Amino acid sequence: MRNRISLVSSAAMVAAAGLVLSGCASAADDSNGDAAADGDISICYVTAAEAHPYVTPANEAFDEAAAEAGVTVTRLSQEFDVQTGTEQLNTCIGQSPDGIVLWPLDPQAYIPGLISAQDAGIPVVLINSPMDDEALEFVTSFTGPDTYNQGVIAADLLNDLLGAEGNVVIIAGQAGNGTTIGRTDGFTERLDELGSSIEVLQIVNADFDQQKALEASRDLITRFGDDLDAVYANDDTMARGFIDAWAESGRSLDDIPPIMGINGQQDAFESIKAGQFFATIVQSPREDGKLALNTIVSAARGEAVEARIPIPLTTVTIDNVDDVEPAL
Amino acid sequence: MNARRNIFTSDAFHGLVRNRVVIILAATLIIGATFVPGFLEFRTASLGLDRMATLGLVAIGLTVVLIAGQLDLSGGAILALSGIATIGLQAELGQIPAAFVGLGVGIAAGAINGFLVVVLRINSLVATLASMLFFRALAHLITESRPVSGIDPFFGLAVSRPIGGTFTGRTLIFFVLIILLHLWLTRSVAGRQLFAVGSNPASAEASGIRSRAYLFGAFVFSGTMAGVAGVIQSLSVNTGSPVFGENIVLIAIAAVVIGGTRLEGGRGSALGTLGGLLTIAALTTAMEYQSVPSYVQAIVTGVILLLLILLDRTVSGSQRRDVTLAALWRRARSSRSSRITERTLHHEK
Repeated sequence: MRNRISLVSSAAMVAAAGLVLSGCASAADDSNGDAAADGDISICYVTAAEAHPYVTPANEAFDEAAAEAGVTVTRLSQEFDVQTGTEQLNTCIGQSPDGIVLWPLDPQAYIPGLISAQDAGIPVVLINSPMDDEALEFVTSFTGPDTYNQGVIAADLLNDLLGAEGNVVIIAGQAGNGTTIGRTDGFTERLDELGSSIEVLQIVNADFDQQKALEASRDLITRFGDDLDAVYANDDTMARGFIDAWAESGRSLDDIPPIMGINGQQDAFESIKAGQFFATIVQSPREDGKLALNTIVSAARGEAVEARIPIPLTTVTIDNVDDVEPAL
Repeated sequence: MNARRNIFTSDAFHGLVRNRVVIILAATLIIGATFVPGFLEFRTASLGLDRMATLGLVAIGLTVVLIAGQLDLSGGAILALSGIATIGLQAELGQIPAAFVGLGVGIAAGAINGFLVVVLRINSLVATLASMLFFRALAHLITESRPVSGIDPFFGLAVSRPIGGTFTGRTLIFFVLIILLHLWLTRSVAGRQLFAVGSNPASAEASGIRSRAYLFGAFVFSGTMAGVAGVIQSLSVNTGSPVFGENIVLIAIAAVVIGGTRLEGGRGSALGTLGGLLTIAALTTAMEYQSVPSYVQAIVTGVILLLLILLDRTVSGSQRRDVTLAALWRRARSSRSSRITERTLHHEK
């Protein structure tokens, strides 16, 4: 009787162990592949997501730059969930790495975590998305595009195009996200500043997601239809959603209102060439990832780094679309 | 004798299934300790538990709702709403009163759920799905879809920092509450009656238990726990956000179900929920330390959940047998002692 109990229980243990093991073992191989052999600098990277048209190339460039610099990276993914991210930041601090790179999805929520990191003497670099000014005293540097400036550029371009009057809708990213706020506020505040008569009919949140943008655009087209003089999307992925919805509504793509996007994606370039898209602003995710890694490595080595390191922005319209490389 | 059937009906197999949380938790810890350097260090454990605390508070509420045979999907939205109250009212009311308002929001939201289910007799899945959408929309509406921040980022550090080098404030709060729940479910008459209500509300009513009051209370309790989670979560990050807690309810349900509480009601335990939470926390910590992508983590959690449900079904025909760890231990000891007696008799011969 006792033999049988121990036999069955050990069999079950092995089965349960094997289940979890298979997950861990394959991952161990991955991380060994990513990290250079005996790098003495370890970096903890809290990224926005694993699979996303912009974030993924940024993560890949981050890893490649890390392999080149010979540093070890532990990567945690928030999957666009702020609460998970704040907890992951604490986990990072607990690992006592030489540096932390954080992709903030909220302008405020990470501040207590950043205070803890500063107390622990761990330098932090913010990648890609801005946080509020109060946060900046707890971080070593913020690398990434100036999203507010992108909104300003977009407002300038559309204001010139429409002759300072007309109706636009804004397809914004995730509510409460720093990039969304920067790109949207930069746009609306610049219009006010210019004294423009352009009216923003509606701002919808489509979470930087093509499908959600498609659904939101169907409603916008039904509601405003021919009254739309232009569309401003917080990124090219969502702009694509609007184009799809326009085609789906049975309207001709030749009549599509001018669309302003951001990111400089390949498909936006093709749409600009086809005359269905007015302009985009190129912001390279690879540049974004690489810059953050190099900055945190410098900071971890105790070198002085600039508090704000923007990545270069290029505006692309039909005039220069053939001369510029798409960002992704 | 049919060997296969023998295994599936043996006490050992039943014991394994009934105590599966302990076994999976042990396996997770062993694997974590093997692959992750420093996994069993106290600081890692403390951080891992901290990750679980907010989730755990929501799961405490859900344990009661599930035992009562109901479901509550609105916890995440209540968490966001009470966090917004806790942070957004700080400037007007002060930090402590605002936190109490946040708690009040949770209680009120729970009462709304209770009203929908008990008075209007709407199926709890539908009722809390609707209230989840409503509370979430309300959170976006009152904040204009933007996070609100508090007046002092240092104020909330108390809940997210280790106290006296042990666990963080919120972990300790969670531990106290889940132990209280365990005592209530196992030692009090009201706790036992909750199981009766969950098994069969009508027959519980017939035997003099006020089923509807218990159901209403379960939803108020669940809303309150989501409120507590919201207050603590928002204080720890000094932010109230309409997007907080969007994924938390489903993971909390997973933890509760891994812990052996059944969706059908009438069966479950607080310690099981604790085990389920610890399993998820240990898995998350182990896999994050190895940079396992989060979608792979979700696969592992999903597979464990399915495996446990299937195991549960294989023994569901004979739930009445006492195969808790304690009972198995007693049985093992008594069989050993009888064997020893036998041997002693042999010697004496």
